[in-house]
Amino acid sequence: MSLRPYTSILFAAAIAHGLTLLPVVAAEITPEQRDFFEKKIRPALVENCYKCHAADSKKIGGKLLLDSPEALLKGGESGPPVIAGNPGESLLIESLSHQSDLAMPPKKPLPEPVIADFVKWIAMGAPDPREPGTLLSDDYAKRDYEEGSLWALEPPRAPKVPATDQAGWPREPIDHFTLAKMKSKGLSPALDASPEVLLRRLHFDLTGLPPTPADLDLFLASYLLDPDKATSTVVDDLLASPHFGEHWGRHWLDVARYAESNGNDGLSRNPTFPHAWRYRDYVIESFNNDTPYDRFLTEQIAGDLLPHSTPQERDRNLIATGFLALGAKPAKAMNDNFAMDVVADQIEVIGNGLLGISIACARCHDHKFDPVSAKDYYAMAGFFTSSNTMWGLAGNEGLTAPPTDLHVLESAPKSFPPLDFVETVVLLQSNTGKPKPIPAPPWPKGTPLAMGIKEGKAPADCRLNIKGESKKLGAPIPRGFPEAIPGPSDLSIPADKSGRAELAQWITHPDNPLTARVIANRIWQHLFGQGIVATPNDFGVYGERPTHPELLDFLAIDLVKNHWSMKALIRKIVLSRTYQLSAKPRAEAEAADTENQWLSYHSRRRLAAEPLRDSILKVSGQLDPRPGEGSLIRHRDILVNLGGNLHEPSNHRSIYLCYLRGSMPSEIAAFDLPGFLKSEGKRTVSTIPGQALFLYNHDLVIEQSTILAERLLEEESATDERRVENLYREVLLRAPDPGERYRALEFVQLSSDDLRSNESAWAALAQALFMTNEFRYID
Amino acid sequence: MTTFSRRDILRQSAFGFGSLAFSAIANESGAIPRLRARAKRVIFLCMSGGPAQLDTFDYKPQTGKKPHPGSVYEFSQHGESGLHISELMPETAKHADKLCLLNGMHADTGIHAQSFLQLHTGDRLRERPSLGSWINYGLGSENENLPGFISLNTSKPSVYSSSFLPSIHNGTPIGVNGENMNTASINNIQSGHLPLAVKRRQLDFTQFMNHNHRSARPHDSKLESVIESMELGFKMQMTAPGLLDLSTESKATLERYRVGMQSGPVGTCKSTDFGRQCLLARRFAEAGVRFIEVNHGSWDQHKNHRRDLEANCAATDAPIGALLEDLDQRGLLEDTLVVWGGEFGRPGLTPGNGKDETGHNAKGFTFWLAGGGVKGGYVHGATDGTGARAVDGQVHFRDLHATILHLMGLPANDLKFQHAGREHRLTGPEGGKVAHEIFA
Repeated sequence: MSLRPYTSILFAAAIAHGLTLLPVVAAEITPEQRDFFEKKIRPALVENCYKCHAADSKKIGGKLLLDSPEALLKGGESGPPVIAGNPGESLLIESLSHQSDLAMPPKKPLPEPVIADFVKWIAMGAPDPREPGTLLSDDYAKRDYEEGSLWALEPPRAPKVPATDQAGWPREPIDHFTLAKMKSKGLSPALDASPEVLLRRLHFDLTGLPPTPADLDLFLASYLLDPDKATSTVVDDLLASPHFGEHWGRHWLDVARYAESNGNDGLSRNPTFPHAWRYRDYVIESFNNDTPYDRFLTEQIAGDLLPHSTPQERDRNLIATGFLALGAKPAKAMNDNFAMDVVADQIEVIGNGLLGISIACARCHDHKFDPVSAKDYYAMAGFFTSSNTMWGLAGNEGLTAPPTDLHVLESAPKSFPPLDFVETVVLLQSNTGKPKPIPAPPWPKGTPLAMGIKEGKAPADCRLNIKGESKKLGAPIPRGFPEAIPGPSDLSIPADKSGRAELAQWITHPDNPLTARVIANRIWQHLFGQGIVATPNDFGVYGERPTHPELLDFLAIDLVKNHWSMKALIRKIVLSRTYQLSAKPRAEAEAADTENQWLSYHSRRRLAAEPLRDSILKVSGQLDPRPGEGSLIRHRDILVNLGGNLHEPSNHRSIYLCYLRGSMPSEIAAFDLPGFLKSEGKRTVSTIPGQALFLYNHDLVIEQSTILAERLLEEESATDERRVENLYREVLLRAPDPGERYRALEFVQLSSDDLRSNESAWAALAQALFMTNEFRYID
Repeated sequence: MTTFSRRDILRQSAFGFGSLAFSAIANESGAIPRLRARAKRVIFLCMSGGPAQLDTFDYKPQTGKKPHPGSVYEFSQHGESGLHISELMPETAKHADKLCLLNGMHADTGIHAQSFLQLHTGDRLRERPSLGSWINYGLGSENENLPGFISLNTSKPSVYSSSFLPSIHNGTPIGVNGENMNTASINNIQSGHLPLAVKRRQLDFTQFMNHNHRSARPHDSKLESVIESMELGFKMQMTAPGLLDLSTESKATLERYRVGMQSGPVGTCKSTDFGRQCLLARRFAEAGVRFIEVNHGSWDQHKNHRRDLEANCAATDAPIGALLEDLDQRGLLEDTLVVWGGEFGRPGLTPGNGKDETGHNAKGFTFWLAGGGVKGGYVHGATDGTGARAVDGQVHFRDLHATILHLMGLPANDLKFQHAGREHRLTGPEGGKVAHEIFA
């Protein structure tokens, strides 16, 4: 195209003259400029553009009007078409000359002399003498929202704690809110849970593990003396246990769509992320240290930009940014949008995971339901296009994702593969299917590495991708935050920085109405089975409304006030009377509130995949309570799909198993694990026969039952009655009733005969107890 | 009309249930009127991604001097009916006289995930019971040793979920998230550590405990669902391994289904995988599974439209032909409804303009049905001259759902379930229109 040099010269000239970038307003227009516009520009616009870009057009293209000065300034979906004084950067010129994919008019470019007129006109500041015209409304902002549907964008208001006439009942302000709601629905609270039920509930909710029979004895004894003190002591002990972070960290890893491999890239390749586990350990440690939530988020978004005083702190901050690099990526091959696919994942996990708003939908067009525009999206995209996301070697398969650098850690010990380690998975050449050697990694052997993000070389605003296509570029959108979400107004983004530091500030600013509510709701959900907002990742127009809006605001404000301490909030909730109710509803709630929206009783919950496995191991005595070290795949940059089953047995807690997308460990896969492709706020709880089959036939259950039976039989002098008692106590934390004792003894006797093995019969009985609902549900 | 909620049924039942109790939806009490059933089971060949209808089943030749979007592959007429079918589907075309083409399909959105969910559940945004779950809920099982709803090579749980319907109607997945379908099985289906009699005694003990536990918690019906699903899982151990084992099939059969055969390098799902799914579908149908979904994808060919479309057709055509042939020969086709289609279609390419890229079109696309009481060699509905939108015989997903339920003997708009304070039905608040024109 011969036009380039010409525009460049004019562009240079415009800069040299220091022309203002604001369009020339009508008052300042000289007669010559007016004449030029009327002779050259207006006729060309009318003839070539107005058919689709005027207020009276039958159908308006790209939400762009070109028939008034204001409309020209505002622009359409692709941003403003004209940057006054700067034809080289003006979309209109690219478009009219068919230099970009956004070629207009669609059939053929305008003749070069006409384009030259436009260039000249823009260079002179785009003087526009036309009368003011109409503007298209931003339909997303002006859309008729159902009343209250944008509730989450209103700042939380410190609510008045409701008064009650049942003065003895509430223990915490929380209880006043729930009680008022119950009363308004004609309900009253169920009885308090028994200490046995309460202890089990607390252990599972705070650590994901069952209490031991000895824990229970101790608790019952102190509960007799002082129930409140006994409970708060246990709660404090559990909050201080390293298992707390392993359990609550697991909740966060769902939100963070954490996994140790990429998942199917769309072409059946699934590269490992051998260093992802460092992020897992960081999350566990953060929960155990009760890192304030605002700090926790800041580290994950901009840890690389934070000051540090020790190498350990530096490393931790860098590892935290793994949050932004863990996403599942579609193949790079034949995919022009790859870089923006990576950004889309980052925006999605921040939108749904931290803010409870799906911003990612606005990648291709203004959000259809929520007040988020494509401009908002690309304003955020600029933070990440100005940064380098580092996922590593991606299985040495460039067609999936080009290899990137990684953070090199300073304080972490070097990590070498075992001496006898031999990689068994070979790489195949994608075109021939023949094996090729695995290249040596670019770092010295044993270098400790972490996934993450760092500043890019040349931070810049991101250009709007029209309809989400990276080749169809609109105007650059200044880096910033979604307009409809209130926040601090004084944050400006330095031109030479990515802006992630400011993004973290904006998200964690107390004026942001979403961040604190979203995490308070998640915490509530993990303790009650259902959030105050039932759609934890969607506080938008299509999400559910809060059942207890004042309570949610109370919790959110309380969290911020207590320096974003998640442990403090959890403590407050579990010590409430509401949390400690029995799971047995009163008759009226049984009839009127089967879903337990109004919290007049406690919702029974099934053990999730990880606590179920961990409980079986703990009861059999085989759980290794120490943190699992690293990962099975820490020395393997390979494609998982070629590796078959890479999992190996482990007795560590489930969080330390190898979470490979599309190839999860079979020990936990049967119980509704998410796909980890997106931020997951709430796991499905399905009941399918596959879960029964797991309990009948999986090696884990069979082996641990056998081990438990061996333990029972160790005490040779014990009677069978005594053994049944012991077994019930270990598995169900209670004594069998006479009927159960009778059936159990009968079972062992008959089965011993059939199996010709006493031990196998006891193992079968132990397995039968692991299979029960009593073991698998928490009242 | 009275409908029964899960809780009502529970209240009426003193102790536990037979497998049919949840499903029979109080048929005995007559709460749900039943129609004459033309079909007993459904095999849904779900082509995810949006197959290009104009190059497969909706023939759009060029009409004027100016090239316009339309079919870019050759079509010819097949069978006595003379249906136009594309050259990409030679094996399916042999069964033209069994096919009932719905060329006037339309849906609400061109967003994959939403339209895919709506195709399965009637709702674009929330998790709702899937079509297969509704059918099992309405009719109960034909074989209480197997799940009534099996989803082969499935994607995400939301499309085979029973949602608020009793969990026993949840789809059982075989092969998830691109698991190798050649070996995909039902996980943990067998173990040798206990003989069957002891396993049964063991489960009896567990269920004795579960019933005691349950009777102290009478309001909690999900505990009952677990008890039910434990029984089903137990019975599956005895029936499913045999069904999943294809070694009893003849070499000729395996070849017809392309099981074990190599195919080209393009596309993520190969003939051998899809063939195994089709063959398993036939075996499950024979065994009395009500609803079998066979998934294939992705048909979302944007760029390289021709290359990817050819690969998808090559992978699926012969196995589908073999399935139709087998069902017919075994007398199963008359009461088995076969359904083919995806979440939407695609706009046509324009011959000679050099472009090889398409998008999504939810305004007009094609499904086909076969067997199960529908007319064969029949075309219902049409799109305009360029295939851009349905202009005649329009069938929305809710109409398709209504039609399928009707063929199964269920009055679509009266199959309801009380949940969270209101009545729900598959066809949504609008209700679905049954396409009576297509019934044989």
